Amino acid sequence: MAPPEAPIETLPTGEDEFRLIADSAPVAVWVTRLNRQRSFVNRAYVEFLGVPYDEALVFDWRAIIHPEDAMRLLQESIAGEASLETFSLEGRYRRHDGEWRWLNSTSSPRRDAEGRHIGFIGVAHDVTEAKEAELALRDREAQLSAYISQSTAGFAQVDLDGRFTLVNDRFCEIAGWHRDDLMGRTMLSITHPDDIKRNTGLFERAVAVGEPYTHEKRYIRKDDGIVWVNNSVSVIRRPDGEPFGVLAVTLDVTKRREDEASLRKGEETLRLAIEGAGMATWELDLPTMTGQWSPNRFDLLGLPRTPDLRGTVDDWLERIVTDDREMARTAFERCVAKGKPYTIEYRIRRADTGEERWLQSHGSRVDYADERATRFVGISFDVTERKHAEEELRESETRYRTMFEQANDFIVTMTLDQIITSVNPAVLGSLGYAEHEVVGRWIGDFMDEDQVALSLAALQRKLSEGGSTRLTINVRAKDGRELIWETNSRLGLDDQGRPTSLQAIGRDMTEAKRAEAHQKLLIDELNHRVKNTLAIVQGIVQQTFKADANPRAARAAFEGRLSALSEAHNLLTREFWGPVSMARIIDDAVAPHGGDAGRFELEGPDLTIAPKTAISLALAIHELATNAVKHGALSVPEGRVAIQWAKASGNEPRLSLIWSEHGGPPVKTPSKRGFGTRMIERGLAAELGGSVKIEFAPEGLKCVVEAPLPEATA
Amino acid sequence: MTALEGLRVLVVEDEPIVAMCLEDILDGLGCVTIGPASRLADGLALAQAGGLDAAILDINLGGERSTRIAEALRGGGVPFAFASGYGAVPEGFENQPLIEKPYREADIQAALVRLLG
Repeated sequence: MAPPEAPIETLPTGEDEFRLIADSAPVAVWVTRLNRQRSFVNRAYVEFLGVPYDEALVFDWRAIIHPEDAMRLLQESIAGEASLETFSLEGRYRRHDGEWRWLNSTSSPRRDAEGRHIGFIGVAHDVTEAKEAELALRDREAQLSAYISQSTAGFAQVDLDGRFTLVNDRFCEIAGWHRDDLMGRTMLSITHPDDIKRNTGLFERAVAVGEPYTHEKRYIRKDDGIVWVNNSVSVIRRPDGEPFGVLAVTLDVTKRREDEASLRKGEETLRLAIEGAGMATWELDLPTMTGQWSPNRFDLLGLPRTPDLRGTVDDWLERIVTDDREMARTAFERCVAKGKPYTIEYRIRRADTGEERWLQSHGSRVDYADERATRFVGISFDVTERKHAEEELRESETRYRTMFEQANDFIVTMTLDQIITSVNPAVLGSLGYAEHEVVGRWIGDFMDEDQVALSLAALQRKLSEGGSTRLTINVRAKDGRELIWETNSRLGLDDQGRPTSLQAIGRDMTEAKRAEAHQKLLIDELNHRVKNTLAIVQGIVQQTFKADANPRAARAAFEGRLSALSEAHNLLTREFWGPVSMARIIDDAVAPHGGDAGRFELEGPDLTIAPKTAISLALAIHELATNAVKHGALSVPEGRVAIQWAKASGNEPRLSLIWSEHGGPPVKTPSKRGFGTRMIERGLAAELGGSVKIEFAPEGLKCVVEAPLPEATA
Repeated sequence: MTALEGLRVLVVEDEPIVAMCLEDILDGLGCVTIGPASRLADGLALAQAGGLDAAILDINLGGERSTRIAEALRGGGVPFAFASGYGAVPEGFENQPLIEKPYREADIQAALVRLLG
């Protein structure tokens, strides 16, 4: 603005009108002369300075120019005036109230009618508000620019064809392309093929209806690498609203995607592991009591999977069999109410097949730091197989326990030190001990030293060679009886095959062994008897076939004697070589000689005699009968034989037996004692330990036997 | 006749027929039979009475063993042989001859010859 000039110049015609107009203008107006003196200022001018009009005409403007603008404004002013052209200045001036105001002034040269330069006329607008707005805008632009170029976000602007028109450094860095490569290229050309279709749709829709969008997509970098980005996209428009491009703010989300993928993978792995292990899970939101079930939880209960995988507590409880339901409900409710975790086993009936299955469930309440219980988490799995196996094991144990208890065989378990750990009732029955007298004791307490040694040797054999050992061993019963046990024992092994115990099964062979010994005795006895019988037969032969004997008579005699021997044996066999009835022996012996024809009269008490004595008696009777038939009473039809015996009492019981013949021819004493006679007189006497006497009385032969009553007699 | 002529032989045999038979055999060999005794007590009395040259003992005498007679004979230095169907001499007399039943005359003769030889 020009400095004030010398006063008062006459205004042109219509001056009052001009003044009126100028004073009403909202801008400062002034007029200068050639000498730069102001000849007129308007009201706005005066008001800005806050001084009287006269002072305003001469006011030195330089005093109120902002120091930062002073030099520039003075230079421009001098240059403008010198040019004699219209010129503008813009700068800050201090208003009368002390406030700095931006003023934009325009000075135009004034010319007279002849066109001579006579001064300037100027106007000044207060442009403070506009100027400040512009400055603020410039600041924001600068900030935005800095932000854009330094941002962690990438910025890319494309035209409506999708060609890059503007990218910042960060975008280049994220996208992996140089700025020069990107300019003129379309954004789809660096987009992953799989993302193009969706990207195109969103882009076109944004352009068409102006809808901003955010999406995630992949760029293919120049090095062929792939980067995941999150793009927030908005349309940019000209002031008239016509879209001319699209601006994208781009964030690199590759790492986040990887983390998510890895997390998802981890979750998936966990889920597969849980489901693979046959575990079904459920989560319950306690405030709403709505539950999320794992798909296999539906399968486990035989229920159809619901689309949202929601299941209720009742859905679960309904599947539980009546007997187990209250127990499960109580456990669940206590867990929810008091936070007490549970592990329960119960039976369910599958909804689809009706099959009964065993489940094991664990439930826990999840309590957060503020002690609000909001979640319940449970897992369940099918333990039917295990339950059945347990059941079978229990049955099997019962079965074996029964066998153990009921077996007639002995079952004994021991430590490797041969300390008894268990015995079955059969053992106790056999030994006569109570269980507490046996269990915990050493086996040596129940057998003699030599038997313990046998048992130890067998144990050593098992330890070194494995397998089982059979042993016949003598055991002492509580009452001292020696029992013969046959045992079979083997080692009990642990998982690694190391011996940990000794197991023996056995049976009492005492009776069997006794029977065996008895049988051996019998066979020996039989052998002896056969030999003895043969010796008797040999004796009969020797006696019968003497050199002077009539061969035919000798043969008949031999047959008769052999027959008598045989009869006696038959009887003894029938009586098992025990004591036999005297009447039977005699009866059998006389039978072949007409005993059945009533020619013998037998009379005597029912006595029994020892087997050996019976044979001698039978042979003696046979000899007597033979003689009677040949020479005595039985050689004639009317002859009879009486055989009488009696038990005579005295100090010792004695037997007296009398054979008497009558009704026969007169008897003559034989000149020579034959076998029969010798046999009777000496053999039977010796056998009976008594005396036997044959009297050849003329009226009939008589044989008198006197002997102690044989021991076998009852 | 034979070397056994007049030999006094004790016979202990509980089976009458066998005893008679043995008596006949000894008679045939020219021996004198002492006995025969069929019981342990009788046999023992005869053995202790002395005057014997030899003896033939049945091992089993009606259920009793003739061992005590054998001991008496050994004590008296009388040679003897067992006669048995068992096929084995009693314990403690393993060196004594055994005549197995049934026997023949030749068996008896041989046994006596051995006893006196």
